[in-house]
Amino acid sequence: MKLSEEVLMAYVDGELDGAARDEVAGALATDPEAARWVHAQQALRRKLRADFEPVLSEPVPQRLRALVTNATSAGSAQVLAFPARNAPRRPWLQWGALAASFALGALVWQFTGRLDSTAPFTQQHGELLAAGNLARALDEQLAGGQPSSAAVQIGVSFLSRQGAYCRTFSVRGAANTSGLACHGTEGWAVQVLARAPAAQPQGPYRQAASELPPVVAQAVSETIAGEALDAAGEARARAAHWQAPR
Amino acid sequence: MPPVSEVQSAEIIGLLPRLRRFARALAGNSNDADDLVQIAIERALARCDQLRPGAPLVAWLFGIVRNAWIDEARARSRRARVFVPEELGEQIADPGAGAAHILSVRQALEQLPEEQREVIGLVLIEGLSYREAADIIGVPVGTLTSRLARGRAALQGLLGASEGDPA
Repeated sequence: MKLSEEVLMAYVDGELDGAARDEVAGALATDPEAARWVHAQQALRRKLRADFEPVLSEPVPQRLRALVTNATSAGSAQVLAFPARNAPRRPWLQWGALAASFALGALVWQFTGRLDSTAPFTQQHGELLAAGNLARALDEQLAGGQPSSAAVQIGVSFLSRQGAYCRTFSVRGAANTSGLACHGTEGWAVQVLARAPAAQPQGPYRQAASELPPVVAQAVSETIAGEALDAAGEARARAAHWQAPR
Repeated sequence: MPPVSEVQSAEIIGLLPRLRRFARALAGNSNDADDLVQIAIERALARCDQLRPGAPLVAWLFGIVRNAWIDEARARSRRARVFVPEELGEQIADPGAGAAHILSVRQALEQLPEEQREVIGLVLIEGLSYREAADIIGVPVGTLTSRLARGRAALQGLLGASEGDPA
């Protein structure tokens, strides 16, 4: 091969200007080995481009777009709320909140977007459902005596006015979010999610309702029927697999 | 976070498909790739005041995606030392995935070292010039072309260079 691979590569990649390009093109006519190399490289380039081309016509996830558009208004709401199906809509329980809260939207996206089976949330039919260790904690963990090292801390449990068991929770770690989830046919549907206040103590603590972010506390007060469950009531509800009494 | 102008915002949105494609080339699967774009956009928005007026936005954003991927890959290798992910276990359990196995373009790309994969992504898939790609990675053009040549040879080898071997 008379021409160096370096020159041939630059030729394939369109790096050569007019005269140099013509020179290589002319030389290829008399150098079958180089011509074969160039064809193989052109084929590789085409193959790679063809394989990745379809990504360009995929719809861009709304979350990525929202991330950019929301930055123009510099909105930084800390609350993300989800509409429960068949539930009366409240001002804070609307998807609109999603657009206004890219910080938390990003957070949920980081969780739901991963293949990781330990992600604490999953999306289904427009609802955010608890998954992974969050779902397990909601199913099994009792507020009393939960290990302070647990990644999920359960707060208060109660029966909602709709007749479902609901529980507040806090997810520790980078996420540091708190929320309210109610048990339904699909599992634990997250009603509201908020970033825990930054001033929250880092050490182990048992979350009481008073320590919940205001929006979660507000959601509790608007949802709760009667009083929160005591330890015995909580244990009974767990034994009944969170199927509410009729 | 400094506010992003309407123009910048529209430009970034217009570039999202290409950022996703580049991220896909780096990360392999679409979930990880979109996570990567997400992280990169967050970083870009936090630093958009660093973007010089008139500087090419696309190169700047590719650079942020690329750096975010390196951070992610480092974190990943730290995690990998702690536990073996499920997917990896499956791969190990499949003795058929040997040399005789015909790899898809993406599988072949995934086997390349990071430094070759990013170059292949920028030059062969995104169609950037050597100069642009070298600036993004922060290496001289000569380093870029030698990585590109090695990456090409490796890909040809993995894909079965039936259309002509380099001499």
